[in-house]
Formats: sequence, C-alpha cells, structure tokens
Amino acid sequence: MKRSKMTELGVGLFMLAGILGLVFLGLRVSGMTLQPPGDTFRLEANFANIGGLKSRARVTMAGVTVGRVSSIELDADWYDARVIMELQGDLEGRLSRDTSAAILTAGLLGEQYIGLYVGGDPETLANGDTLRDTQSAIVLEELIQQFVSNIVSE
Amino acid sequence: MITRIMSLGRRGCDLLEALGRAGIFVAQSAVGMPSREGLLLWVRQMHFVGVLSLAIVLVSGLFIGMVLALQGYTLLVDFGAEQALGQMVALSLLRELAPVVAALLFAGRAGSALTAEIGLMKATEQLSSMEMIGVDPLRRVVAPRLWAGFVSLPLLTIGFSVVGIYGGYLVGVEWLGVFEGSYWGNMQSSVEFVGDIGNGMIKSLVFAVVVTWIAVFQGYDLIPTSEGISRATTRTVVYSSLAVLGLDFVLTAIMFGGLA
Amino acid sequence: MSDTPFVVVEDLYFSRGDTEIFRGVDLSIQRGKITAIMGPSGSGKTTLLKLIGGQLTPDSGRTLIDGEDIHRQPRRSLFAMRRRMGMLFQSGALFSDLSVFENVAFPLRVHTDLPEAMIRDLVLMKLEAVGLRGARELMPAELSGGMARRVALARAMALDPELILYDEPFVGQDPISMGVLVQLIKRLNEALGLTSIVVSHDIKETLTIADYVYVIADGKVMAHGTPKSLDVDQDPRVSQFVHGEPDGPVPFHYPAADFFTDVLDAGGRR
Repeated sequence: MKRSKMTELGVGLFMLAGILGLVFLGLRVSGMTLQPPGDTFRLEANFANIGGLKSRARVTMAGVTVGRVSSIELDADWYDARVIMELQGDLEGRLSRDTSAAILTAGLLGEQYIGLYVGGDPETLANGDTLRDTQSAIVLEELIQQFVSNIVSE
Repeated sequence: MITRIMSLGRRGCDLLEALGRAGIFVAQSAVGMPSREGLLLWVRQMHFVGVLSLAIVLVSGLFIGMVLALQGYTLLVDFGAEQALGQMVALSLLRELAPVVAALLFAGRAGSALTAEIGLMKATEQLSSMEMIGVDPLRRVVAPRLWAGFVSLPLLTIGFSVVGIYGGYLVGVEWLGVFEGSYWGNMQSSVEFVGDIGNGMIKSLVFAVVVTWIAVFQGYDLIPTSEGISRATTRTVVYSSLAVLGLDFVLTAIMFGGLA
Repeated sequence: MSDTPFVVVEDLYFSRGDTEIFRGVDLSIQRGKITAIMGPSGSGKTTLLKLIGGQLTPDSGRTLIDGEDIHRQPRRSLFAMRRRMGMLFQSGALFSDLSVFENVAFPLRVHTDLPEAMIRDLVLMKLEAVGLRGARELMPAELSGGMARRVALARAMALDPELILYDEPFVGQDPISMGVLVQLIKRLNEALGLTSIVVSHDIKETLTIADYVYVIADGKVMAHGTPKSLDVDQDPRVSQFVHGEPDGPVPFHYPAADFFTDVLDAGGRR
C-alpha cells in the first residue's frame, strides 16, 4: 500500500510538471499574456505596399510594442492592402486623428513591423477608425533598382 | 511470376487482417467508462510508462537543446543574426524535434517494455487465466497501458521542449554570450501558442496513440515463445519509429506546409 | 444433482491454419466426477480445454456447459459463465506482479464486494486447503513449480466454481509434489462436489484418480471408458498408449521416405 502511495505521488508530480511546462511554454516562450483579450481596440490602415508584413507582426509607438496586426487583406476598391491592428485598450481616445503609420524593418534583414506616429489634431481616433496617413514598406529590391538606374542615367 | 503476385497478394491480405485485428483490439480496450479501480491501474501504468521514461527524455532534451544552440550560433553568427538564436531553438524544438525525438525515445524505452511485459504475460498464460477468471484482459491489462501511453508522451514532449529551450539558453546566453533579452524576446515574438506549441502537441498526441498502440498490440498479438517476444519487441521499435517519422512528414506538410 | 451431463461437446471441428486439430469430437462429462482426457503430446488436449472454456471458437459443433452453448454467448454472459469455472494452467499462470495472497484474492476482489476481513478469511482458507497458508507473502517468482501450481489451484477455487479444468497438472513435477497434487485433486473433488476435467498424458497418475477417461488421437475420440475397461482394451492403439509402448500403431518415426533411399539421394544431390 505504501508503494502505491509513492507511485501516486510520482505520477502526480509528473503530471504537475507537465502542466507547469506547458504554462512555461505559453508564457515565457510564446509570450502569451494573461490579460483578458477584450482589452483592445481596432484600427485600420491602407498601405500601397506592405512588403513582407505578416499578421501577428508588432505595432509600436516610439519603439514600444502597443499592439499586433490581426489581419491583412486586399482592399479591392483601391487595390491596396488593408491592415487591421489590435491596439491596447488604454490608448483608445488618446491618439490624434492625424496619427500616421509606417511599415518599418528591424535591422537590415529583420522582420517588418508597424510604427505609429502621433500628430497634433485635437480630435482622437475611436474603435474601427482608419488611419489616412500611411507610409508603405521599403522594398529593398526597388531601392537597389532605383539606385542602379540613377547611376546609369547620370 | 504468378506465384510472386500471389505472394504479394497474400502479404496484402495478411497486412489488412492484422490492421483489422489491431483496430478491433484498440476499440475494444480503449473505449469504455473508467472505474475507480481502472483509475488506480492507470496511475500505476503512468508510473511505469511515464515517470520512468522521464529521465532519458529530459537528459536527451537538454543535450539536443544545447547542440541546437551551438550549431545554430555558428551558422547565424555569419549573418550577424545570432539574436535569432532563441527563436531558432524554440521553433525547431516545438515544431519538430521535441515531438519526434521524444516519441522515438518513448518507443525505445516504454514501447519495447510494454510489448515485452504483455508478451510475457501472454506466454506465461496470465492473460488466458485472467480470461478464465472472468476478467477481460483487454480492460484490465491493455486499457490502462494504452491510456497511460496516450497521456504520458505529450507530457514528456512538453518536458523535452522546456529542458531543450533551457539547454539552448545555457549554451547560447551563458556560454556564447548571446544577449539574454534578445534570446527570449525574439523567441516570444516569433512563437505562436496555437500555431507552434499547439501543433507540436497535436503531433505528439498522434505519435502517442500510434506508438502505444503498436507496442501494446505487438505484445498482445505475438507468438507466445521467448523468440516471439524478442521479435515482437524489435518489431515494436522498428514499426513505431517508421510510423513516427512517416506521420511526422504528413503532419508537418498539413500544419506548416500550407496544404491545409 | 441430476443425471444430465454437466459438459457436453458435440461433433466439434477445429482447425488452426491449415491443420485440422479436431474432426468431430464428442464428449459428455458427468457432474461431480473426475473425467480425464488423455492423448499423446500434440493431439490438441490443451486446445480442447480452451474450447470448453470458451477461449477459442470451433469451426463447427457445440459445447454445452450446464445446457448453455458457451460459444453463442455475448461477451458479458460468457464472462458470467466463466465465473462458474476454474482453470488450472500448465504453468500455474500466477500474476507475476501480485503476491500469493493477492493472487488468490484477485477473483474475489474482482467479482465480489466482500469486506477486506472476509476476503482475508476466504483466501487463508483456500491457501490452507492447498497447504500454503505460510507462503502468502511470497511473490510467484519465489515459488517452486509445484507450489505455484497449488497456489493456482487455490486461486481457481476462490469463487467456489462448479467446474475445474486442469491442464497437464502433473507435468514436470517431482514424485512428492506429484503425489500431493494427485491427492489434492481427488480430495477437493470429493469434498466440494466439483466436476473436474483433467487433461494429461501421465497415465499412471491420471488413471488412479479418474472416474472416466477419454483418449484422443488424430482429432477424434479414439476410446473412452472407465480406467479399468481401458486397461484391458484390445484396440492396439489404446493399449500402446495406456501401457506406454514405444512403437506400435502410433509410430516412433515421423513420416519420411525410406531411410536407405533418403540417405543415398541426399548424397547424390550434393
């Protein structure tokens, strides 16, 4: 009987360790937060070219991550890309209407993310609003092509 | 020529028959309401199947994480991208290495032991005598082992990942001097809970079912002699390794290859 | 107790792979008697016991246990029927991860809700009957072959079955434990009013305890009768088996071509 108690203890510890491991993977490795997901608001922005931006990319403000890209789709009216972002709820009503968005690259070859720059308009953005002022991704190949053709034409 | 085709056909029939038997076998044993008694038997088997495999799985996980970090570092440092080490170690472990290597180790450690144990019970007529006492050996002997295997391997896989990522941290950050913040930060920004950890867990669950099923069925279906037991044990390891690697390709193609 | 036989086997056919093992076996086993089923090794005696116990299904034919066909029962009632039977396996087949006490207690724990104290009393009673009450804490691996078989007998009797099947109970026993087992089987049968079927090829021991004997060879019942009538049976095959003569109608040699041509042929082919 005593041995079976030890077995039960061992199995219990084993399963507990497994569950703790999963929690560790969730929090530490995939960076999940325990915040309730309802605490966000939605903004949209149209870009002429998103380059290599992917959904779940970071949205930053002054370098601080304030949200994530939730989806990217083609806007068939303008033939450009509509990017939908989820931002921290406490920023709702605090970003000016003329806030601009740019697609930036982390390092020379790193991942792409969105940077937000606040303007001076006294009116503020609400849930579901669209950012007007956007700056597309810099596509390295196009840059190089321009550079080369400039040299040739000179 | 005709005899060749005939022997091929006979093998096909044998294979189908064995698959059918294995299917009925797992359906009869794994399905059913667990009783309190069954729960105790399951805990006992969790100990033999899971807890006793823990040491080998964790040690292997540590070494694999350390090797990954070492190899990854020498490769990434050429591109000046050694900050991506954490993401590389975590993704290769979570998506691929932890489910597969843990399943292979599990097949070698627990699978072969299950086959040999059940085979020995069959060879010494313990299963028959249980039947004659009026106890279904599928329920009493097979079912707890099946369920213990189903639960153990995913848990072991989690352990493998955690220890592997820690091993990568030891080598990458503590030894090779990758910045600690970028090790964890890049990892967190690239690993998705559902897409990477979740899919890895699904893989691991599939492997758990397949490996345990093969091991237990080989034990139950073997020829009850010492030669039969040793052959069945070998078959368990060979078949489950092949099944794990083959299924891994299929699952990877579905999950990450854009086939879905 | 009525006169109808407890176990009836009718026109039983069974084959394994391409080999026919039984081609029309008929048995009827009387209540409260020890019936021996004898035959040379490889004649399928153990298979016959497994057929009676419902572990194997025949190709055709019926096996009635107390009027019910064991092969036409759903799984649940098959297990219920098996509670009324005990089987003593050749190797004992004790559960190697349980102690002697727990082995004997196993059927009680599974099939009854008796309180622990009563299970203990019953187990000690059964172990006392086979003379191994003192060995209750041992594990099966620590027992000798004869002791393991006696524990298995205690376990087979744990639920007070009506029918006990003995598979080769005397094989590989030294003369003392053989004598002990012979006495046990005889005494238990008389004391508890069991119906026993003993499968064996140990003629001398079996004939001393059996009330009725079936001799099986070539997939059929070759002879049956009381031990006395078989002893004086004129059939040469029966007398060869009963008296243990090395060669006779059951040949010493496995069927082969003529020795002389065989030897020359092999030499020539090389």
